Amino acid sequence: MCHAKPQEERLVTHFSLNRTQMTRTRIISPTRFPSLKSQRCGSGGDASFMEQLLLHCATAIDSNDAALVHQLLWVLNNIASPDGDSSTQRLTSAFVRALLARAVSKIPTLFSTFGNTVFQPPADEIHRFSVVELAGFIDLTPWHRFGFIAANEAILTAVEGYAKVHIVDLSLTHCMQIPTLIDAIATKLNKPLLLKLTVVSSASNFPPFINISYEELGSKLVNFATSRNIEMQFTIIPSTYSDGFSSLLQHLRMYPTSYNEALVVNCHMMLRYIPDETLTPSSPSSLSLRNVFLNQLRSLNPTMVTLIEEDADLTSDNLVTRLSSAFNYFWIPFDTTDTFMSEQRRLYEAEISWKIENVVAKEGVERVERTETKGRWLERMRDNEFGGVRVREEAVSELKAMLGEHAVGWGMKKDDDDESLVLTWKGHSVVFATVWVPI
Amino acid sequence: MPVDLDDSSTVSGDASVSSTGNQNPPPQSAAKKKRNLPGMPDPDSEVIALSPKTLMATNRFVCEICSKGFQRDQNLQLHRRGHNLPWKLRQRSSKEVRKKVYVCPVSGCVHHDPSRALGDLTGIKKHFCRKHGEKKFKCEKCSKSYAVQSDWKAHSKICGSKEYRCDCGTLFSRRDSFITHRAFCDVLAEESAKNHTQSKKLYPETVSESQLKSPAAVDSPPPSPPSVALVPEPAVSVETETEPQPANIVSSSVLPIRDSSDEPENNTLEVIMEEAPRTIGLNGSNDQSNNSKSVYAGLFASSSSSPSLYAASSTPSPSLFPPSSSMEPISLCLSTTGPSLFGATIQDPPQPHFLTPLLPPPQPAISATALLQKAAQMGSTGSGGSLLRGLGIVSTTSSPMELSSHDPGFGLGLGLPCSSGSGLKELMMGNSSVFDPKQTTLDFLGLGRAVGNNNPGGGGLSSALWGGGGGMDVFGSGELSDKDIGRSS
Repeated sequence: MCHAKPQEERLVTHFSLNRTQMTRTRIISPTRFPSLKSQRCGSGGDASFMEQLLLHCATAIDSNDAALVHQLLWVLNNIASPDGDSSTQRLTSAFVRALLARAVSKIPTLFSTFGNTVFQPPADEIHRFSVVELAGFIDLTPWHRFGFIAANEAILTAVEGYAKVHIVDLSLTHCMQIPTLIDAIATKLNKPLLLKLTVVSSASNFPPFINISYEELGSKLVNFATSRNIEMQFTIIPSTYSDGFSSLLQHLRMYPTSYNEALVVNCHMMLRYIPDETLTPSSPSSLSLRNVFLNQLRSLNPTMVTLIEEDADLTSDNLVTRLSSAFNYFWIPFDTTDTFMSEQRRLYEAEISWKIENVVAKEGVERVERTETKGRWLERMRDNEFGGVRVREEAVSELKAMLGEHAVGWGMKKDDDDESLVLTWKGHSVVFATVWVPI
Repeated sequence: MPVDLDDSSTVSGDASVSSTGNQNPPPQSAAKKKRNLPGMPDPDSEVIALSPKTLMATNRFVCEICSKGFQRDQNLQLHRRGHNLPWKLRQRSSKEVRKKVYVCPVSGCVHHDPSRALGDLTGIKKHFCRKHGEKKFKCEKCSKSYAVQSDWKAHSKICGSKEYRCDCGTLFSRRDSFITHRAFCDVLAEESAKNHTQSKKLYPETVSESQLKSPAAVDSPPPSPPSVALVPEPAVSVETETEPQPANIVSSSVLPIRDSSDEPENNTLEVIMEEAPRTIGLNGSNDQSNNSKSVYAGLFASSSSSPSLYAASSTPSPSLFPPSSSMEPISLCLSTTGPSLFGATIQDPPQPHFLTPLLPPPQPAISATALLQKAAQMGSTGSGGSLLRGLGIVSTTSSPMELSSHDPGFGLGLGLPCSSGSGLKELMMGNSSVFDPKQTTLDFLGLGRAVGNNNPGGGGLSSALWGGGGGMDVFGSGELSDKDIGRSS
């Protein structure tokens, strides 16, 4: 490993850890130094070091090595505090908790050791946002706003001239994209006569959770549309990702779009929940629910489909591979919380920790977070006869302006090889936004 | 003045670049030099680690005559011309220069790791300053402070330049956040109900004339009321346990309603309008004219069975769907973070209009489940604490441990498979692990010596890991042995 060893400032620093449960031996190290007192870990390259430990722990769990698991978890817990100053520590701590959950479920003997440790609040205890809170929450970083802006821009272009506009919003964010879309439509010269918004009811099995029903949510949106003089209709279809939204597709087939109606399907970080090939490895690829969904979507001949997803591969069956991918992706949201207030950061990291636990500790249908890379999604879309569309330059400027108002690490890039726009944090891909039309 | 370069090595030495990003850095073509993105360095580049002093240094190049300092050697050379001193401008070297990337000297920092080095010297300087430096530049208008002057200047340009204020009092610097908030803010819901008939402006900042004059706004009844259609299916209810009762009833009572594809709203409008004043009084005040076909009137786009909507209700009052203005406060109560969540001055929501004659009596306000939830949220401590208890940490004897030099003869006895290329053993050896084999056995994790073959190496594991890492508190080590810890497989 490469370490920086500056000649000056070889301070000898003592750390005290706030562990009242333990009595410890103090050790003075003459060899290494950390430059800041607040750093807990002395060795350089912390992130990869922690990652290695996590991977070893994962291997130990899946090899049923209870003793080793116990030791590794103990060590990891030592070095990674959930309240640590560095985001690497807090990230690792989230993984430690996830591994603990996995260990306890896989190795029954460990269950008695760890007992009823409540290391992570169960899903139904996770914070439930009010819609106003959620509205503020999703704008803390460009994570979602990036996709919102890109998609809305494309949608506006696509629905130009149609008397009726039907938006199917498959979004993790409970329609947070819609107000700005309504606002944009309202300021157009030729407003549509009717705006229909359709959502699905199953978007409440993963965070963020809201504390009102979709009926209420819809009524607020309709109210808002009215205040902007847009006639709007809100429809909730009970449909679930676990069967590839088959009831939604069925509904859309039953009520096909009329000639002067635009059908736009906006997929914002939702399609990743549809089971992919790794969930049904024995079936041929064409039968994966994910492909079936896209195929059936294509046969509806929508005016436009927007696909916004996180650019990471969390689908591997191999735990070690998956953990490594997750570690090398989720460090990003942990790193972006510098400007947050402590309560915001706590909530935000809790949401990410939920996902980490799902990826690391769950298997089978319980493991819902099956994020795929941009490349894979592009392949799927093209296989299902969709063609990518470039977003307009005005959108790109708007995106850049928006990014400029957030922390310095945010950026974006346009791929020359495809028509995607990618949100980046310190150069690493975070979220991609793509727009598709049937071909 | 020589640049103080302390350590340099290749990025791809140990740390694998490919593990960081989800894509490879763009290829370097000879014709057009593509900029490598920050934080994703070229695997062949040379890693430079500068000391904090070096990073913060400005004007390292000093003129010998007048002692004027310059940040770049080129500038110094040009200055020397003025003194009629010999000067030489360094040309771009013709041979391919090995690209340099820089790491942050602060250990624990994201950019300390060579695989996340930054390719630009200015970039790493700014990063170091921003992240680890003192924030000396303060914005006059707001409370933000910055360590890097250019950041501060950039902020000052936009600070306070545009502000959007919601009626509830919250301020926004971006229009889209403002719009999104407005759509869901209760204050808007009330206002729009009150003002709808008067076609009053709802948007203080921009309301175009055309909106006011458009027929849709002025005329009352039929032209396109908003509507919410609930598509009937056997299981419509999606509420969670925190949902107040009426919503559930709403769902079940609309079961028999079939959604027709042609516009049902106009048919039902009159029906619902009759009910409206009775059922859904948004503000509780009596200025609800029949024109408050507002949102709630259109809420249940049903045809003939709308009367059954209300008949099915088991609450004394016909209102099945308390307006969100009364809903919101409940939900805000449940949220433990409350108005302080986003630091914005979100005023307390207007008092719920529970007590008006038009509205039903309030729900068994907060359900038991919600109360429990709230208590759990408030009562839960940091997860670390409970994790520790769960891990069964016990106290150890506090014999001070001396560091001795690394004894390569010691196998840590873990015998882990090294499938990932760097086994745990190497990991720990590599950190100049230190342990004293003569240490007495300590109770480690509650696994005393008597328990099978679990223990001693474990103690060594921990101290080995952290013996080398400056000043960490660790447990005293247990006795080490060469044999495997003995995994039960």
